[in-house]
Amino acid sequence: MIEYREFLYLAVTLCALAAVMSRNMLTAAISLAATSIGVALVLFDFRAPWAAVFELSVCAGLITVLFISAVSLLRKEEPFFAEDRTRFRLLPVFALIVAIGGWIAGWPFFEALADYARFGARGQSLGSMLWESRRMDLLGQIAMLAAGVLVINSVFAAKKAGK
Amino acid sequence: MNGSFATAWYFAALLFFIGLYCMAASRNLLRQLIGLEVMSKGTLLALIASGSMSNLSLAQAVIITMIVIEVVVVAAGLTLLVKAYRTNGGVDVWKLSSLKG
Repeated sequence: MIEYREFLYLAVTLCALAAVMSRNMLTAAISLAATSIGVALVLFDFRAPWAAVFELSVCAGLITVLFISAVSLLRKEEPFFAEDRTRFRLLPVFALIVAIGGWIAGWPFFEALADYARFGARGQSLGSMLWESRRMDLLGQIAMLAAGVLVINSVFAAKKAGK
Repeated sequence: MNGSFATAWYFAALLFFIGLYCMAASRNLLRQLIGLEVMSKGTLLALIASGSMSNLSLAQAVIITMIVIEVVVVAAGLTLLVKAYRTNGGVDVWKLSSLKG
């Protein structure tokens, strides 16, 4: 009998396949949002609500909006850029080969990895973890956000200066 | 418990492969960014499965950092994509030859 979490994993994988294989970019962006929603449900199931809320609001929300805006800007492009679809039609076959290969060869490796995952188990709240142990991560996040704003600003400013 | 962890890693590896294949097979920059997103979802699954066995708070902290970095990378990538489209008239990576020496 398939369990709830395994059903979610399957749904996430199928949505990811749909996002990669769909011909229309808008469908791909919406399938990607569905993948993010599935991952957020998995995170909720793992009792990680903060990460799930971030995933839901940022990945399923903001990134989808960004993708759809980009698609709407490039809408005229699509008919003129026909990719070779043969590679994408072959993807389910390759994914199936990897799935069967992983089931046979990778499973013992993944089970062995679980022993390593048990290291470093210390019970701390997320707040104390972020502010006490992972302070550099927060600084890194601020630096990354500043770098992102700078990139977007510089790319569009260059266009204005050119005019 | 090991079974649940192995299942998560199995699907994480599968998602990572799908994203990697998309990035390798496509010449469309937008599709490559979608592949990158799918790969990051696989990584996220692996992280939360590891975190659930050791330290969930640490895993959540790392995932939040990862999501923030992911959104910045996608935003910057899409900006460069729109810029490349306006400059070259296409999103084909093979046409991005303006930096060729």
